[in-house]
Parts: sequence; structure tokens; C-alpha cells
Amino acid sequence: MPKLTIDGREVEVPAGTNLIEAARRLGIEVPYYCYHPGLSIAGQCRLCMVDVGNSPRPQIACNTLAADGMVVRTETPKVLETRQSVMEFHLINHPLDCPVCDQAGECWLQIYYMKHGLYEPRMVDEKVHKPKAVPLGPHVILDAERCILCSRCVRFCDEITGTGELGIFQRGDHSEIGLFPGKELANPYSANVVDICPVGALTDRDFRFAVRVWYLETAKSVCPGCSRGCNIEVHYNLRRPHHNQGHRVARLKPRENPEVNQWWICDAGRYGGKFVDDASRLLFPTRGRENAAREVGWDEMVPLVAARLRDYRPDEIGVLASPRMANEDLFVLKRLVEHLGIANVDFRVPPGRPGDEDRILIKADKNPNTRGAELIGLAPRAGGLDARGMLRAARERRLKGLWVFHHDLLASAWPGSEIREALRALDWFIFQGSNANGISPDADVLLPSATWVEREGTFTNFEGRVQRFWKAVEPPGASLSDWEILARIGDALGLGAVPGRAEDSFKSLAAGVPAFAGLSYRELGDFGKEAATA
Amino acid sequence: MSRPAAVQFTAGELALVRRLQALYPDKRAALLPVLQLVQDTFGYISLEAEEYVAGLFDLPPAHVHEVVTFYTLFFQEPKGRHVVSVCHNLTCHLEGAPTVLAHLRMRLGVDVGATTADGRVTLLAVECLCACEMAPMLQVDDRYEGNLTPAKIDRILEGLE
Repeated sequence: MPKLTIDGREVEVPAGTNLIEAARRLGIEVPYYCYHPGLSIAGQCRLCMVDVGNSPRPQIACNTLAADGMVVRTETPKVLETRQSVMEFHLINHPLDCPVCDQAGECWLQIYYMKHGLYEPRMVDEKVHKPKAVPLGPHVILDAERCILCSRCVRFCDEITGTGELGIFQRGDHSEIGLFPGKELANPYSANVVDICPVGALTDRDFRFAVRVWYLETAKSVCPGCSRGCNIEVHYNLRRPHHNQGHRVARLKPRENPEVNQWWICDAGRYGGKFVDDASRLLFPTRGRENAAREVGWDEMVPLVAARLRDYRPDEIGVLASPRMANEDLFVLKRLVEHLGIANVDFRVPPGRPGDEDRILIKADKNPNTRGAELIGLAPRAGGLDARGMLRAARERRLKGLWVFHHDLLASAWPGSEIREALRALDWFIFQGSNANGISPDADVLLPSATWVEREGTFTNFEGRVQRFWKAVEPPGASLSDWEILARIGDALGLGAVPGRAEDSFKSLAAGVPAFAGLSYRELGDFGKEAATA
Repeated sequence: MSRPAAVQFTAGELALVRRLQALYPDKRAALLPVLQLVQDTFGYISLEAEEYVAGLFDLPPAHVHEVVTFYTLFFQEPKGRHVVSVCHNLTCHLEGAPTVLAHLRMRLGVDVGATTADGRVTLLAVECLCACEMAPMLQVDDRYEGNLTPAKIDRILEGLE
């Protein structure tokens, strides 16, 4: 492993490490625009210049590999002057429209101008004008005047998605990024180019002008859009509630996890969180259907549900859990059905349309926690019915009560008439979920759940990796985490040892299910750990 | 010079493309000569032609478009039967290039970058063509003409079909 000296400090790095990454290990920040650890080296922006050994002029750090005995200096007067000149070049034709630019506040032109620029502008000529506010596809919009031609977006489309939509056209100071005429940027990962664009050239059509980024706060999370479990950040806005039509969740951004999603997320996941602030949210526990529907408090609702579960024989009750529920929820539910002796338990419902899948991130299973439900054991117990069996039994009046979590059965692969008939034949139908859906109007009891950004918990991805998500915003109305609703009902039924926090449930899960043995919130950290799935 | 509409090489031209591609470790390097072949064959490089060439190189069309837009000698619109390129760099400028250009604009009735309505001549202004000794000069198709005067320009134009 090469050992080198950077700004007078020695560091040993793996062979093949470039000088930007080597300096990073010492906490030394070399500025750059075009370099990205997930993409090929372009050497396009010339900002990462450092002095190397006795070389008469600075070298670009991104394309210089660390070598044994190398002496690197990142802050010499020559380096600082070079950076300043490079910044001046980058900004020559820049429109300086920060007040109306969505990137303002997270723009690397602003950040690096303050750090490395601060020159007296000398530009007296008319600036070169280029296309502005050009939609490139469903999610991305281009302002070519703000572009510094770092080519990250071009390389992303060439190297990560392999779709090659973008190019740099014309030449010299007329160069601009764009699409082949008549084509659009519509690959399933297109909005990642917005994340990697260091300036305001590529912005997000969904987020644009919704809220200024300095009003946003961040919570670490995991995407619930499929079984991959990409690590994400939830950016939410509580400080300017009148912005963005009162939507609290402003955007979802990828969070780097080399083991799961690297630096990327798919567009479906990025824009898949809209249900959180949607008008279809269930806000209060509700009894009765349609005009007879009446919102009640949990103090009235919990005994009602408990009575139903107690008053019917276990074989007359079906429980349809959801692979959208967190491990913490599923474990309390499993304890509850075991406590009551209910054998008709399932979580699998085939989707109406098979999910799309690719070799990058997207998985066909659009549920975040199928593996968790399998490991915890929410399949039919001995002699119990599976999901479709429960519906058949309901139609035949053998099953009297059904408790469905989250599923929209009408969006399943099963015939709608079969489902409707089954639901109508029941004595009671409890629907527990965050949003109204196709079947929720048929329920005579609605239990409103918090969404994943309104609570903490864990999902187990398709590889058996258990990953934490954190609370960003409060649950609306009287909605509660699924585990908490279950704990209250369990308490009323004498379940004992009900969790007071999500972490309590996870602790008993780790103690009770061998696959989770040895795991804890602390152990999982920010990036998750594999469950023992062997 | 101009074979119309549908962009499709003949078997012989395709064989030439394969031969050019085989000359380089990365066949993408043959993009320039193949684009020249397109321009020689079809008169200019249409978007359709760019997509056709992209297919021959297994490249996204955007990357062919990058090359075509980079070089000013690739024509993205149909050009005239003759191309008149007037040098307006330093030496020619001092020796009267503005007068040459003004005379040509008047005689042809088109501006720089445009083609006469009858499709006879495309007029361009270009940088140094390395013939300062005959300034002011222009290039008509593959031929240099220098020491230009209005009378000489008229004679040159009369010679163009």
C-alpha cells in the first residue's frame, strides 16, 4: 500500500486511490466538480489541482493516483491561485441568477466561490446565452446557462444506466449538455442526475420552487418502494408550513450505502412517498361505514377491537398482515395471534400486475419487508388458511371476522367480485393502514397507521439486511405506529410485556426470533446488518 | 453528391465502414471518417443519418450528435452544390475580407451561413485557411482562390454550375 505525505502528514492508502480520496482520509478537502466516486474520471473541471512533488505546475488530484513517497501540497499559493482562476473561468458565462435558482443553498458554485473564488470580476463582455428551463424528461429540467460542463450527468447515463441519453453538443463556450433532438431523459433512474449535478443546471421538476433548501431538515431513512431497501434521506419542511401546499415531506434523496444502493435510487422510489401528505390519509379511528361512519378515540376503539377478537372463535378470525409493515409491527402481531390462537394468518397477496425489475436496483417485489415477514413468521400457522383461503372461507360464512393491514385487495391479482363478496359476507372487517384504498370503505372499523416517515422501525430487505429508518415528522390526526396500535389491543387482551417504544419490540424480536439474534438498534447503525438468514 | 432521403449505405459502403472500424483498437475512433463518408454520400448529415451511424457503432445517438455538432465542417442542413468559404481571419481581414464578404452577400443574395434559393451556393465565413500569402482569399469546394477583387469573385461565381 502506497504511503504518501499530504500537507506534511503521512497517510497510507490502498493502491489505486486517487489524491482526492487520499486527502479525504486525512480530513483534507480538495474541491472538485466533475469527480464522482461512482463514475469514471473525466478531468473536466480542473478545480482539484494540487502540487505534487517538484512538478513545475499543479496536477489534477482526481486523475493522479497515490504513489509511495509522493509529497502532495493542497494549499500552496500556486494551488490557491489556480483554484481562483478556475473558478473565474467556470463563472464567466454563469447568469448569477441565484435568487431564482432552485439550487441556491446547496450549490457548489456558491460554496466554492466563497471558499476558493472571491476574485474581483473582470467579465465585461456580453455573456453567452443558452437554453433555459428546458424539460429533459418527466423529472428533470435543464438550464444550460448554469451548466459548468462537468459531464457527471452524461457519464451517469453512459455508465450507470447504460442509456446514453445525454451528450455535450457544440464546442468552446457554446458547449451545452442536451439530448439527441426528439429524445427524452426518461430512464428509471433519471433524477439521479439532479443529485449529482453540482450546480443549478439540472433541477428536479417535482421539487422545483416547492421550498427553499435551507428550510429543510433531514432524517435518515430507507425507501419502502421495493424489497431492495435503498438508503435514503427524507427532507422535510416544518419551518415554512405555508410553502409547498402544506406538504411536510419535500423530497427523498439517496443516502450512500455501498452495500445496498451506492449513491443512487430509482425514480419510482424517489417520487413514491407522496402518500404521506396525501388527502387519502386515515386520520382517526372510525366505526361504521359511509354515512354511519363515526370517528372515535382510541380509548373507545381499543376495547371494541379487543372484544371482537375475544368474542369470536380463533378459527372464525383471519389476520392478513402486510409486508409493508416494519419488523417491530410484525413481531407484536405475531405474538398477538399466537396469544389468541389464531391460525389463519398470512401476509402474501399477489399484485395485480407483476412488478418491474432490473439489474441495477429495482426489485419486482414492491414491498420493503417481505423477508422480515417470512423470517418473523406471519405465514399460516398449523391448520390455518392462507390469504385466498380466508376470502373463500368468508364467502362460505366459515370465517366471520377479518383484520387486513394495508393491502388493497382490489389491486391484487384476484378477481374483484370474489373479494367484494367475501368482505360483504363478514360479520366484521377491520382495516388498518395509513391511507384509504379500494377496500377500506368496506371496513366497519378503520385503524389509522403512521407512515414510515412518522415513526421509527426497521425493514429487512430481500438479502436479509435489517435496516433502520428514523422519524422525520409527527403522525397526523390520531394515527399511531402499527406496533403501538397492536400493543394497545394486546394489552387489553392480556398479552403482557407490550413494547413502549419501537426499540422495545425490536429487542424482544432479537430475543425471540433466531434470525434476528444479536441485533440491536445500536448494532444496526446507519447502514444496517444482515440477519442470520441461513 | 446527393443521394436522397432514406439513409442507408450500399453493401460496398458498408464494407468500407467495417474496414475503417477495424483500423482502430476502439471502433468508435472510426466515427469521423464514417461521418465524412455520410456527408460525401448524402450531402449533409441529417438527424436520421446520425441515428443510422449510431447503429453502425452501437453508440447512443447523442454521442454521434456530439461529434457532428463539434465540427463546423459537418453540415447538419442540406448544403448548396458549391460551398464558398471566405477567410475572415487577421491577414485576410486587413487585406479586405469584409469587402469580399459584402460583395458575395450582394451577388448571391444570402447571408453568411445560408444557401441560395436555387441550391447553388452555400456562403460561409471561416478562420485562417493557411494561405495568408494570397489574402484576401476564399475556398470554393476543394480549391483555393486568392488575391480577390470584385471582378475576380464574379468570374469565380460564373464558373459555378
